[in-house]
This record gives sequence, structure tokens and C-alpha cells, in this order.
Amino acid sequence: MSNGSIGDMREFERTARAATAIQPSRRQLLTAGLATGFGAAFAGIVTRPAAADDPAIIEVQDWNRMLGDGVDARPYGSPSKFESGVVRRNVPWLTADPVSSVNFTPLHELDGIITPNGLCFERHHAGIAEIDPAQHRLMISGLVDNPLVFTMADIKRFPRENRAYFLECAANSGMEWRGAQLNGCQFTHGMVHCVVYTGIRLRTLLEEAGIKPSGTWLLAEGADASAMTRSIPMEKALDDCMVAFRMNGEALRPEQGYPLRLVVPGWEGNMWVKWLRRLEVGDMPWQQREETSKYTDLLANGKARRFTWLMDVKSVVTSPSPQAPVGHGRGPMVITGLAWSGNGTIKRVDVSLDGGRNWRTARLDGPSLSKALHRFYLDIDWDGSELFLQSRAMDEAGFVQPTKDELRAARGENSIYHNNGIQTWQVRADGVVENVEVS
Amino acid sequence: MSKFPRLAISAVLALSLFPATAFAAGDAVNGEKLFKRCATCHTIGEGAKHKVGPQLNDVIGRVAGSAEGYSYSKAMVAVGKAGTIWSVTTLDAYLTKPKDFVKGTKMAFAGLAKESERTDIIAYLRGFSKAGEIAAPASAAAVPDAPATTDRAGAPQQAMVAAAKDSPLPTHGVFHLGRLATPAEIAAWDIDVRPDGLGLPEGKGTAAQGEVIFGERCASCHGDFGEGRDRWPVLAGGLDTLTSERPNKTIGSYWPYLSTVYDYVRRAMPFGDARSLTNDEVYAITAYLLYLNEVVDDENFELSKENFTSIHLPNEQNFIVDDRNDEAHNANRGEPCMTACKPAPAQVVKRAQVLDVTPDSDQAEQAGGAVE
Repeated sequence: MSNGSIGDMREFERTARAATAIQPSRRQLLTAGLATGFGAAFAGIVTRPAAADDPAIIEVQDWNRMLGDGVDARPYGSPSKFESGVVRRNVPWLTADPVSSVNFTPLHELDGIITPNGLCFERHHAGIAEIDPAQHRLMISGLVDNPLVFTMADIKRFPRENRAYFLECAANSGMEWRGAQLNGCQFTHGMVHCVVYTGIRLRTLLEEAGIKPSGTWLLAEGADASAMTRSIPMEKALDDCMVAFRMNGEALRPEQGYPLRLVVPGWEGNMWVKWLRRLEVGDMPWQQREETSKYTDLLANGKARRFTWLMDVKSVVTSPSPQAPVGHGRGPMVITGLAWSGNGTIKRVDVSLDGGRNWRTARLDGPSLSKALHRFYLDIDWDGSELFLQSRAMDEAGFVQPTKDELRAARGENSIYHNNGIQTWQVRADGVVENVEVS
Repeated sequence: MSKFPRLAISAVLALSLFPATAFAAGDAVNGEKLFKRCATCHTIGEGAKHKVGPQLNDVIGRVAGSAEGYSYSKAMVAVGKAGTIWSVTTLDAYLTKPKDFVKGTKMAFAGLAKESERTDIIAYLRGFSKAGEIAAPASAAAVPDAPATTDRAGAPQQAMVAAAKDSPLPTHGVFHLGRLATPAEIAAWDIDVRPDGLGLPEGKGTAAQGEVIFGERCASCHGDFGEGRDRWPVLAGGLDTLTSERPNKTIGSYWPYLSTVYDYVRRAMPFGDARSLTNDEVYAITAYLLYLNEVVDDENFELSKENFTSIHLPNEQNFIVDDRNDEAHNANRGEPCMTACKPAPAQVVKRAQVLDVTPDSDQAEQAGGAVE
């Protein structure tokens, strides 16, 4: 693609199309002959003209005159129709079939630390199992004193807890190992979400059955048509894992494992078995497909790491980003993003405007919860010049997010998983943002 | 002989006429007097503690042998584990002749032969049991009018089980929730297979048999020779490619254990028709995959439960522990550079637009590089 103006225009139009939420205001502004907003940014005009009478104010709007829907119209509410572009998106070429595939959280459209339930990315291996909770059972078997069966009603009688945790797919950013590839943080970083889970401690359930002294591993299994399985060391199972039945206060969504899922805080998402139906206690790992053929990290020397469970310290600027271009001229600009670590809380996030040459410490805002997403902001006075935005997170254990080059030097380019390298967004003077790597 | 039928009839009459009222009508005041015979060993009421016998608050509805902190006879604990819960009925039977109802009970009391005395004492005990009012069988009559609880109407719901207070409590664990899984239930779901062979079912199949099954059930996605169609997984080949620019990770070139093949095919394949293959068919398909990957070279090779663990895949030794923390950028944890960290201004070296594989763009469909 050319770097000339035609290419720029095409790129801009494409980006604007993706950000449909902005379209009405842009059209309105252009119609009104105002050279602000997108128009200004695109045209490179950064000064504001004298205010003309704004039809949004001068004219009586429909919503100011006519009645809206009554309370019966939306028994389960949905976002505004003007937010219809804020959706999970698939990358069709990634996988053979959408039934065993992934879509991505629109991080560039979100704020705070909690992901709305309907926008949490999906990854299933045999489609969404639609399970009647009355027919769902959880079995604990293997090296236990009493193999047990629980109904959902049984599960809901144990003492509960509420915890916010991020869930990140180990393959998040996996397409970026060889270099900048996908133009949007939804696609480069969108296999992460963070919700508040309600459930019970896995430990409570295991103790109900009684773990035999030789029980050092746990196999978790789903009820879907992939019968997803992962081996989990007992130490983790007894630490902070949960069996959850609610997310953000309501029942789990079907695509997130309704009626029951495993929560494995700070560890790769594949282990958070959805539609959880069985927990088997054993004395060694089972070496299932998703912990041998997949979710093992091939190194340049041909060796492969296995049981790479923990999700490393990571961050990304969510706005501006390729799908969230800068829609204003110079002056105040909010740079915001997310940071997270499987080691616990985020201690600090630094942001660079010049591709990692100089850094400023960003402001963390909102709850700082262990193994949850953290929200950061850097409020700058943009002079309208090109930026190379980067963010670099540090966690409470002292780990610092590495560069992509550091990761490639250590592992090569074929690890697929656990790419927590620093992301660079090029913000051009016209507000367009592109996924790049810099020297 | 002649008087027995008459007695039997009167007993039936008594049961049918009086069960609810008879139990309910016990004289608790008289029961309190009678309880003095029990008070040598038992306490009840405020501040009651275990003495020679367990304290008896809330005894109605309690699983036999389950009062916390009291050391029961093994016999009493066993009776509780078998499902006995103290109710008007079970207490009446127990108090009639304790050693008959629980052989081996520690309670030395011989029993109360008179039914009215038993009824009165039980009436007295019920006054100290939260479950007392509902424990009588008559309360079951309250159930039929309860609305369905599954309609999820907005109105407050009636109790699902009117006699909840009298429902049995299992004895396992801390919360006594759930129930024991049956052997058949465990077997129905426990289909996992480990590298040491644990979980392998009886059965066998040859590579040649597997070729036929593979052609019918697997080749539409994986190709006749495991080469993979479209973006479906490649199952064979790829030897010596792990250090190349584009590794080809197959069963033969990458997977460490054969048990994973058996386990995965049995639990999840064919895609969209899982659990439809017989154990012998899975052995045959697994044998054919060994043949495709040149781990075995005879198409008459028969894989079975017996010889399964003798087969090793070539790449087994190339898996290592997670040593990410030893990598340079993780090992040298410290304050990161904040200023002048690079000698020269940053220059773009890679661009997403060069590839242009982002969805909504024209070239995306032709792009390569599938994620796994």
C-alpha cells in the first residue's frame, strides 16, 4: 500500500468505517459546514473557527419533542443503536471454521477495568454448548475420599465470593511475533477481558470430596463437544481458583461457559474450562492435547516449553489506536490503555510518545485488583506532530514488560503463545493510527 | 391365632387415622417430667452441652451420630452415614428399644415400652428442635399447592420442598452437599488416558483398518494422508522442521505422547460427531496415524491396550520446563530506563499495512499465518 494521499484517504475511510459510532457526528459536522472533529483532523486544520450556530442546539431534536419507548420495550436492555459498531470481531483467516475459532474484545471502545458481558472475547473449540442448568452436573472423582456429584442447586449452597480477574488467551498477540500484522488493538490484544466472578472456591469443593494425600494434579473437563481438558497442579487449585456461575452479577453467558466455569486467576485462558462438568484428582498431569500439541511454546532451538501457565506482565494503549484514530486537533489528548499481570497487581505503567526513547509514568485510575485489568491514562497536550505511542507495565513482582525484540531474541518467532511485548502505535499528524514496529 | 388379624386391622386403622395427629398430640408437659430419666446423661434447652450423652437441642432433623463435638459409638455414626435422620418416627423406634435400633449404641437406657411415654418425650424434644413443627408426616400435605418454581415469574416463589427441614443430610465433607457418584457415572465420564496407559480401554486395531475408517471419518478435513485440507490441522509429516522458519507441528514431528492422540480422538473427534467412534476404531485410527508418521512401517501393525505404552513419539524428549524467568529481560529485574533510552529517534521498521490482513480489508482473505 502506498504512503501517498490516496492511500491515506483509503486507510482513513476504512478506519472511519470500522468506528461507526463516530460516523453520525462526523456527517453532521460536515453537513453543518464545521471544520472540526474528524474533518479537521483529516484536513490537518487544527485551529477552531468562530462558532456558528449549532443545529444540535438551535433545532428542536426529535428526542426532545417525542416520547420514547416505555419500560416494557426493553426488558433486557441493549446498548444505544449509536454504539452498534462496538462488537466482537472475528479474523476469518485465522482458523479453519468459526465453530472452533476466536473473536476479539473491542478494547478500543471500552474504558474502566470491567468488560461488558456481551463483549468478552469468545474462544471455543466446538461451538457454544447450550446447557440446561437443571441437567448440568459437576462430578469430582479420582483420588478423593468420596467421589461426588453436584447439581447447580448444590453448588449455589456453598459460601460464595466475588472476585474481578482478567482472562487472557495465551495466544493473545500471537499473530504479531514476526512483526506488525493486524491493524487494531481489538485484533492484536483483544483476547483479554475482565469481569467480576461470583462463585465458590475450588478448594471448598475439593475438600467436600476429600483429596487423598497422593492427589497432586487436577484434570478439569468441560461438557461441550470438545470435552475440553486441562491438567492443573493441586497447589494452584487449592490457592485462588474458583468455580463460577455468575459474571458481572448475572448468570454466565453461554459463550463463557453457562452454567459453570473454572476460574484460574492469572493463568492462561484455556485452563479456565467452560461448561465445567468434571474434576478428576490424580497424581500426574494427563498430557492432554491442549497442553502438548497446543499451548506449548516452541523455541528457536526446537525445544518447546510446556506448562507455561502464567500470563506475563503486559499492557497496551487502547486509544488512540488504529480503530480509534484521533478525531481532534492539537491540544488536550487522552491516552489510555490497559495493563495486567498474572503475578498480581500492576505497580506502574510508563508511556512513551517517541517509540521508547523517553518515558513518562502514566496515571493508574480505578481499582487496582490483583490479577485484574488496570486502567491507565496519560493526559497530554498534543502539538499535532507524529507520535510513536508505547506503554510499558511493571507488576508487583518487579517484572517489566519486555520489548518484542527482547522476546524474539530469547524465543525466536514461532512460540505463538505468551507474546507480552511492548506495542507501538504510530499516530500521524492527520490522526490516523497504524500498528508499527520501530527501531 | 384368631386374634392376630384383629390386632393387625386395628393397627392399620390406627396408622391411617392417627399418624399426624397422634404424633402431634403428645403431651410435652408430661414429656418434661419423663425427661428427668434422660437428664442423667442428656441436657436440653439453653446452654445445653454434651455430657455422657449428646445435647439434644435440634435433635429432630439431625443426622444420627452427627452432633458436633460428641464422641459417638461407631455404630451410631454408621447408622447416620447410612441415612438415618432423627424424626418423630425414627426416634420413636429408637426409644422403644435402643439396642435393637442401633446395635452397638453407647446409650445404656433400655427403652420405653409405653407408646404414650415415648410420644410425650418426643413432644418435649420437639419443643427444642427448629425442625420440630415440620417433622411430623402431616406437613407433607402442604406441598401440592406450591406453584411451579421453574416458571421464573416475578412473584415471590413458594418453598420448593415444604419438608426441607426434614430432608436427609449426607455426612461427607464439611457442607454435606452433593451426593456420592455411582461407579457407572464415574465410568461414563472418565475417558481420559495418560501417557502411562492409565485409562486405556480394552481393544485393538490395525493401521490398515484405521486407513479405511480415517478415509470415511477424518479425511474430509485432515486429508487422506493427514496432510490437512484448507486450514484444518496437519497430522503427519513435518519431521525436522521445528527449527525452520515455518515449523510443521504434527503428531510425528511435535506431539510428545501417543496417549494424547487416543484421548483426543476418543473425546472430541470427528469434529461435530464426538464420541461416535468405538474404542477399537480409535485404536485403529491411532495405529494409522503412527503409520502415516512413519513411527511404524507395517500397515498390518496392530495397536492395542497391551502394546500401547511401548510406542514412543520422536519428539518426546524435546519438551522442557517453563524457564521464562531465566530469560534476560526477566532475570534482570530493575528500574527501567526513563530518558534517552535509544541513541536515535525511532524509525518505523515494520508496518501492519504492508501485510494488510486486518478484517474489512481487501487482502485479508488471502493472507497466511493461521493461529493454532
